[in-house]
Amino acid sequence: MLRAGQFIPRWVLSSLILAACAPVAYADALDGVLQVRSAYVSVEGGVFSLHARIDYPVNPVIRDALHDGVTLTVELDTRIERERRFWFNADVVELMLRRELDYHAVSDRYLVRDVRTGNQKSFATLEEALTDLGTVEDWPVLTEPQLAEGSYRISVRAGVRRGRLPASLRALMFWTDDWHRVSEWYTWLLPV
Amino acid sequence: MVTAGVTDATKTKPRWRAVALVVLWAGVGVGALLLLAKSVQNSGEFSRLQPWILLLNLIGVIALLALLARKITQLVRDYRAHVPGSRLTARTVAIFGALVVAPLLIVYLFSLQFLNRGIDSWFHVEVKQGLNDALVLSRSALDLRVREYSRHTENLAHSLLDASAEDVAHRVYEERRATGALEMAVFGAHERVIAVSLENPLESLPSRPPADLLRQVGERRAYVSLEPQAGGEYLIRTAAPFTENPSRRDDRYLIAIYEVPTQLAALSEAVQHAYSQYGELAALREPLKSSFRLTLTLVLLLAMLAAIYGAIFSAQRLVRPVQDLIEGTRAVGKGDFGTRLPLPSRDEMGFLVHSFNDMTKRLRRAREEATRSQHVVERERERLAIILARLTTGVVVVDRELTVSIANQAAGAILGTDLSAATGRALPDLTAGNERLGQFVAALAVRFAAGRGEWREQLDLDSASGRCILMCACTPQPGADGEVGYVIVFDDITTLLQAQRDAAWGEVARRLAHEIKNPLTPIQLSAELMRRRFLASMPPQDAEVLERATRTIVQQVQTMQRMVNAFSEYARAPEMRITRFSLNQLAGEVADLYRPHDARVEIRLELDERIDGIEADRGRVRQILNNLVINALEALDGVANPRLEIKTRFEQGGDAKYAVVTVCDNGPGFQRELLSRVFDPYVTSKPKGTGLGLAIVKKIVEEHGGRVDADNRPEGGGRIRVVLPVTDSTRSGAGARDRRGELRREIV
Repeated sequence: MLRAGQFIPRWVLSSLILAACAPVAYADALDGVLQVRSAYVSVEGGVFSLHARIDYPVNPVIRDALHDGVTLTVELDTRIERERRFWFNADVVELMLRRELDYHAVSDRYLVRDVRTGNQKSFATLEEALTDLGTVEDWPVLTEPQLAEGSYRISVRAGVRRGRLPASLRALMFWTDDWHRVSEWYTWLLPV
Repeated sequence: MVTAGVTDATKTKPRWRAVALVVLWAGVGVGALLLLAKSVQNSGEFSRLQPWILLLNLIGVIALLALLARKITQLVRDYRAHVPGSRLTARTVAIFGALVVAPLLIVYLFSLQFLNRGIDSWFHVEVKQGLNDALVLSRSALDLRVREYSRHTENLAHSLLDASAEDVAHRVYEERRATGALEMAVFGAHERVIAVSLENPLESLPSRPPADLLRQVGERRAYVSLEPQAGGEYLIRTAAPFTENPSRRDDRYLIAIYEVPTQLAALSEAVQHAYSQYGELAALREPLKSSFRLTLTLVLLLAMLAAIYGAIFSAQRLVRPVQDLIEGTRAVGKGDFGTRLPLPSRDEMGFLVHSFNDMTKRLRRAREEATRSQHVVERERERLAIILARLTTGVVVVDRELTVSIANQAAGAILGTDLSAATGRALPDLTAGNERLGQFVAALAVRFAAGRGEWREQLDLDSASGRCILMCACTPQPGADGEVGYVIVFDDITTLLQAQRDAAWGEVARRLAHEIKNPLTPIQLSAELMRRRFLASMPPQDAEVLERATRTIVQQVQTMQRMVNAFSEYARAPEMRITRFSLNQLAGEVADLYRPHDARVEIRLELDERIDGIEADRGRVRQILNNLVINALEALDGVANPRLEIKTRFEQGGDAKYAVVTVCDNGPGFQRELLSRVFDPYVTSKPKGTGLGLAIVKKIVEEHGGRVDADNRPEGGGRIRVVLPVTDSTRSGAGARDRRGELRREIV
């Protein structure tokens, strides 16, 4: 009996799968540094607050896109896990801070908007806006009652993508959308 | 999938495979739908599933490609190998494929064109230009306000340069109320608040000045910004130092925040919203088109591959019954009538397959019937062959050219030739050296030439080996190919006729003995009485006449009495006294008895020592030998160097044992015309013979269950052979007669 492998060589199969994953792994439009530069957690009144500095990419493509009306969605994924010795780590908290960056053509200003609260700030320059976006202060992520014995690992990852697309369009565009990038996880042990 | 019936395993396997495929594709379809639904509900989740969705689609395409490649390879291989049904499958696949692929391609191309044009139509140049114009208009309208407020702030700041602190606070309050500003505050060095006036009475502190504002007023320059708010409102933030002169040490500056009128703000926000939406869509234009193209292509690929695979699958399913029928027909052609095809469905093809199965069933039954009939015919033929072989009647089947198709052993025995190997040969080719067969063939040829098909006649065949009378019947037999054959049945009735003659002669002899013997005695007594009474009283001359006459009467009466006695002897059938005695010894005694009779005749004995004794009536056997020796001695009368031979020989046919006594001489032999009747009474060629000697021999031999033959030796002289059963049981056994017949044929 003939098998599929006899008709399609393995290298072709591998190439096809890699090609499928290429848009996710690499993006031309968002070229530049995307990283969590520093992050720490402060505890005050039993509340763990996250402080982070994130570098977001800046390039003419992004600037032009913003000026054309494109909205960038900036996300900060935070994951707190309890470490287990003989099994996978247990998820304690998974949070996402989502903000949007717009160019306001009428006022010629860059707007930074918190999606959850709707708070909005405007900046005269893109750099100021990105600096604001890259600054996270006192973001409460955890309370003491959520912790038990053991060690906890907190991971932070930043992501950028082209936002405000209708879901149906996004479903269609997932493989030609090169406006999606995520940084490496920035991980450290939670000081309990 | 046709053999003598199709196995369940071969039938079940494709069905399970089809079910598995259906379940697989249904699962893929449901999975795709679920993913789609999930993506619509949660775009974040969807982004994580992107590679998996892509992989799933690729796996689908690859799986379809693999399946299709396998199917096509198999199809090409079958086509090249001229597998039954492969051409029909290929043609059906080509038609189905064309019917499916062509509309798919048309729809695909039309959809691509429609999508390209549809998406392009969203981005008309006029729309873009209109939006830009609206944006410029909004900016202009707002710019007027901004400049007006900025100028007013600058003027106010300059006017407050030399005012006292109370005046500043008062002026700020008054100006705020006069201009309708939301907030107006005077700051000093290090952002120290000197005076403030707020529209909202609940608030006591002014809003924190932004960094760029502080930087700019620090440089003694005026500042203005139009700041859009979350609710679609616009704030105009203006700031101006009290003095632009850097040499003066006055770091105070005035910040005023105004609100853009609601209508203007709403219109501007609408323009902004439209501009932003359009820009975003415009940015997505090419990716959107590519996505649509890719999606459509993938869908087309999946649909086309699935359609072609479905076409091949359907064609194979459609052709499968036809293949079965072809294989079934071949099997039937090879004689396998046990072929049963699986019923594919209840449609016309199913009806056809059902009819085929019905036909093979009927053919199988017909063949079984034919086989049974053939066996019956063969059994009948064997039985007929056995009957023919056992028949003492000769049966010969010939065609018009007298070519033999059937001849039994009896026919060969009667005609004096071996017909066992005569099948397929013409009878005239077998007549060389066989005078009797030649006469038989000539008789047949004459009748066939005369156009006589059915006849029944007695044929008298007279040859050197003796006379043979056949009762012959011929019946035409129509052949299978129109040829006419003839069944010739004949029986040797020579013996029967002889027996009839013997019986007739016996009756004659008995009547003669009865009718003639009775008056002879009174005649003789009367003659003797006449002689005694009248001879003495008669004159001598008359007496002499009387005496001569009476003597003659008495002599003739005595002669007649002897003759009558001989007849009586021939006719009577006395009871036999069977004893066991030595035939060789008896033959020796008879030879010794006749040696002195004529010294010239050389009597030779050649005795078979294997004959130690036979069970028979010794006196009658002695009479047989006496009569034969007398017959031979009479035949040797006047012959130079007369020689007489008496031979005995032991013969065995099956379980029966026979003693054969042969008496031959070197005399003139039997006359040919008398040869067939030498054993009849009163048949003799000798002037002094009574003609009863050999007749009596024959009678005694037959009473012993034996047989006697007479013929002439090739070197000259007569020869008579007597065959006697050695044991009395052989003589009385029914089967022994058949064996005697065999022995007779061997001896002949």
